[in-house]
Parts: sequence; C-alpha cells; structure tokens
Amino acid sequence: MSGRFKLAVGFSILFLAGSGIACAQQQVIGAPPEALNMKLVGTSDLQARSGYQPTIHHQGDRWIAYIGHHGGSDDIPTPVNPQTGKAEPNGTSIVDVTDPSQPKYLRHLPGQEGKYESGGAQMVRICDGKSLPKGDRNAVYMLRTFGSEAHEIWNVADPANPVLITRIGGLKDTHKNWWECDTGIAFLVSGAPDWRTRRMTQVYDLSDPAHPQKIRDFGLPGQEPGSTGAVPTELHGPISTGPSGNRVYFGYGTNKGGFLQIVDREKLLNGPKEPTPENLRLPEISRMPMSAFNGAHTTFPMPGMPIAEFAKDKDGKNRDIVMIVDEAILNECAEPRQMVWFADVTVENRPMMISNYTVPEASGSFCERGGRFGSHSSNESMAPVFYKKMAFIAFFNAGVRALDIRDPYHPKEVGYFIPAITAATDKRCVKIGERDRCKVAIQTNNVETDERGYIYIVDRANTGLHILELTGAARSVAGIQ
Amino acid sequence: MRRWPIVASAIAVLGVLSGAAAYQHVAPRDGERHGAWQEIAWPFPRDGWPAGKAFRCGTGACGGEVELYVRPKIGFCNCDSGVADDDEVDRVADLDLLSEHFAPLAPGQTVRLADLAGRIRAYDIKMAGGSRHTAIGVAVSHRCDLLVAVAHGQGEASELRRVVLDFLATGEMTRWAMAAMEGR
Repeated sequence: MSGRFKLAVGFSILFLAGSGIACAQQQVIGAPPEALNMKLVGTSDLQARSGYQPTIHHQGDRWIAYIGHHGGSDDIPTPVNPQTGKAEPNGTSIVDVTDPSQPKYLRHLPGQEGKYESGGAQMVRICDGKSLPKGDRNAVYMLRTFGSEAHEIWNVADPANPVLITRIGGLKDTHKNWWECDTGIAFLVSGAPDWRTRRMTQVYDLSDPAHPQKIRDFGLPGQEPGSTGAVPTELHGPISTGPSGNRVYFGYGTNKGGFLQIVDREKLLNGPKEPTPENLRLPEISRMPMSAFNGAHTTFPMPGMPIAEFAKDKDGKNRDIVMIVDEAILNECAEPRQMVWFADVTVENRPMMISNYTVPEASGSFCERGGRFGSHSSNESMAPVFYKKMAFIAFFNAGVRALDIRDPYHPKEVGYFIPAITAATDKRCVKIGERDRCKVAIQTNNVETDERGYIYIVDRANTGLHILELTGAARSVAGIQ
Repeated sequence: MRRWPIVASAIAVLGVLSGAAAYQHVAPRDGERHGAWQEIAWPFPRDGWPAGKAFRCGTGACGGEVELYVRPKIGFCNCDSGVADDDEVDRVADLDLLSEHFAPLAPGQTVRLADLAGRIRAYDIKMAGGSRHTAIGVAVSHRCDLLVAVAHGQGEASELRRVVLDFLATGEMTRWAMAAMEGR
C-alpha cells in the first residue's frame, strides 16, 4: 500500500469517525442530560403536552407554575388526562412547585381543540387581585389565550379549581400577551377580524377583570381595516415598562423581516384611538429594522444598565438595552440562524444593535440532532435575582442557555442544560425527497425564572417541565450564595 | 496498487455531478423558452426568502407583455387553515416586491395549483415611475409551506389570470413547484 493510499484511507477513517461523533450527538432515552453550571432539581411530565409559556407565581405561601400548551400532535391530538381519565385538548397545566424537587401536578385546564399552533392555550400571565386597582383582593387572576379564538380570565385563587371570570372572543388569532399587574392595562396580541394581519395589539383595561374595557386597537399602518398596499410584518409580542418607564417594546416578525418598535405608552393609551395611519404612527418613537433573515419573538427591556467599561466616561455610563430573541421555526437548520441580539436604545430615535449571541453549532452537532436549532424566547421575569445580570434563552435542541449579560456589549455563555429525552418526546421530521425522515430531540421552547432563582424550562416536543438551578461560576454571576 | 487516484477521481466526479444537479434544480436558466414564456433572471434583491423563478411573456399569446415571479416560502403559512382569506394573499403573494402601493380589484377566489389549494386575487398596482399595471397574486399551500406567484401586465385582469394559471399548470411548472416545495 503506497503512502498516498494510506493517506486516503486515513482521511476516510477520519471522515467516518467524524460522522460517528455526529451520530453520537443524537439523543437517546436513558442518557444523562448535558449540562454546564446548571443542575436539574425536579421535573413534571406535564401529561406529555407541548409546552409554551411558563409563568411562576408566588401565591400565599405556595409557588405555582402555570404553563400554556400548544395544541396536540398528529399522533395524539388530545392526550389523556390521568386525573380525569379523559382525553382533553391541550390547555393550561397548573403545577405546585413550592418544593421544586417534588412538583405536584394540580390541574389541567383544557384549551381549544386543534393541533399545534391551531389549538391549545399557549400564553398565560398571572396578577393578584390585591395588586390590580379594581380586582377582588382575594382573587388571583390568570389571563390565558384560548387557542386562536379568545382570551380568557380565570380566578385561580384555588389553583386546583379555577373559575372562569370572563372571555374576550371573536378573534382570528392570539399570541404573546403582556399584562401590567399594578395598573391592569393589558396588551393583548389578537387577530381582530377586520384587520389585515393575524396578529396585532388590542389594548384593554383589565384592572377589573370581570369587566374588561377596551381602550383601542393598535398596529402598523397598512395593517388597519380598509388599508391597501403592502402589509407589514405581524406582531409577536409586547413588553411594557409600565407608567414609570412609559415605554412599550413591540417585537414584530418570527424568523424573518423583524423589527423592534419603541412606543410611548401614555400616547398609546390616551392618544386618538381611531385606527387611521396617522393615529397609529402617533405613539411610535422609533423602529429598528432587523435583517430580513431574522424576526423578533421577544423584546426584553433592561433600562439603565451600568456598563463597567464606560464607568469613567463623562456621558453614556448607563445604557438602555433591549434584548431581542428571534424564533427558529424550521427543523434541521433549513433557515438562516435565529439567535439573540442586544440593542442599545439609549438614544431612542437611533437604536443600534451592539452585540449578539448564538450557540456554536459544532459544540453539539445541533443541525444533525433533529428538530429546531436556534433561539425561541427568553425569561421575562424582572425579579432582582437575575434582572440585568443573567438571561436564559430557550434554544430548542440546544436546551436552555445561561448568559452573563452584565456587559451587554459582550454577552457570555456561562451555563447550559439540555434535558434528556424520554419516551414521551415527540419526533421531528424533514422531507428527504418525498419521504419524511424523523429524529427525536429535545425542543426547549420557553423558559422562565422565579424570585427564588429557579429556572423553569418547557419542551415543545412533549418532554415536559424541568426545574433547574445554577451551580458553579454561573451562580456567582447572579450573586446567589 | 495505486488506488487513491481512482478514489479521488470518483469523489470529484460525484461532486461535480451533484453540484450540477443542484444547479439544474434551483437555478433559473436565463433565456430558456417555455412556449410563449421565456425564463429571465430573478430581478429582485435578496430578501428573507430565497429567489424563485421569473418569466416574461411578450407575445400576443399573453395579450401584451407580462412578467411572472414564483417561489416557495417554506414555513410561512398557518399550518392548519392554509391560505384562508384574501388578506393572506395581500400579505404573502410578493406583491410588495413590485410596489408598496396596490389595491385589490375584487374579492379573490379559491384556486388549485400543482395539487396545492389557496387563493388568487387581482390588483391595481402603481409601479415605480407612476404607471399603473394590473397584477395577479396567487398563494397556495401545503401544510406549513407556501407557493406564491405574482404577475403584472397592462392587460385585463381576467386575461392576465388566465395566461398565468395556464402557464403555472403546465407539467414542467407543476413538477418544479412540487420539487421546490419538497426539496428543502
């Protein structure tokens, strides 16, 4: 055998070994989770329902997790609720996480019939009656979407026995709402039937949840009823800084053509309400377009961040930052990378991207693992334990990623956790020719944190809820003893 | 025995063949004729979606000069309801590639293309420079994926619709559409 033939054989072995490593990245049932500086505390299977928004609420002396679900899958459109023995359309899971190592599944509240994004009850927000200006002081209110057709408010003071309070229906879609618990103002992502987009904003006064008062419809000029011409990208979700911050940050787009819109909250609430192009433009302070390759799922504001590097500068020591998270939607990297962006919005009419973060694909051969790879959403809690120090990003088959964002000009990954798959984890398929080729991989879809410092992640592919805590260097970043 | 040159040559040949096949599959072949239609280069700058195919028909068979642009949009549609209403056609059918300013001429209609269901709608469109054209927007879907087409010309909307649908229904275009929708 000649030297050059040996070389060719050597390269072949290397190639095969490389393929083997890639195959080794495929998740298997029974394998341990992959983790750095994050540790599993407890789990709940959530009745093998596809997870969207988790919201964790300190309720009396208990901690309750409310978890929204997408609709069912082709294989199991309506999973059986073991508590009732009945098949129920996916809705809202209510779990007592007072002891995070032993979560207790309290109740499944069915949602709209329908599969994937066409059913379920994806979104959930919670406000105490005592914090709402006109709420029942003994009540705890859950605002949730009901599939694409309605928003609902339930009294969950007894979380195992929710009571329906009111319903805002007649919609063609819903999505990622925001509810200010101190004012009751809600920015509902809705599809008003006469608007030219599936998702826009309906601003409601829900300070008395039993009697919702509509304030106005809001969207981008070109989306309003009766308009013609090009229709701007649909809304994904807003986050408000309330009366004190007087800003609402709207994220538009999903995985394409997104932008951040900065809106004057007071003008939005009290300005002229007729949906004319002029009235829709009036509250807008600025828009920051993103690449056509990226959309804005979450726009998380962090005003007044001190930047250590700028500490001795006469001006601009503190910066207003918005973290923008794109949403990956296609399996196995069939789209441009969806990731995390940090914008400096200190000068509001000239916002600018300053940094970004993504998981290195090669660190886990994520494009070959199956399912989506890329970002989806971040935690949205503004509790001091993590706010402006750490961010947690749901990254589909790369699990949850913990970022040190104390210097948002240079965000740094300090931990991650990729749960193990289970028998409940659903497959994800791509077309190869005319056939489906399917793989099973974790699909961490959403993440939230609580005031105690626990991190809650839920899986789109039915693997359930994982409750995590930081360890090692990541714990130091957050300043947790 | 010196087998490495054979191995290397085989790999090189396979690479060239697969590259050529990929090019044949996705690249528009500028100047190729399809009956009265001639394929032209995709004229728009890169946006969020990969380029598609573009065609021009300049003969009497089309009632005057017509241009047609067609491309898949993978992962863009409501997976269950598909292209459910005319607003969806306004949003997705690539009319905004031609101009920001267009207004529907009438309610749209349902349509089937290459075994995909959706809607078609006619528009009055104000082109750059101010001239007014008639445009046809088409959006059809399979599960979460779309195939969209937009055409414009100066003839009647009904005639434009006819020539566009006739062309999109040809065997060659149907095969291309199905391959483009499945070949992600």
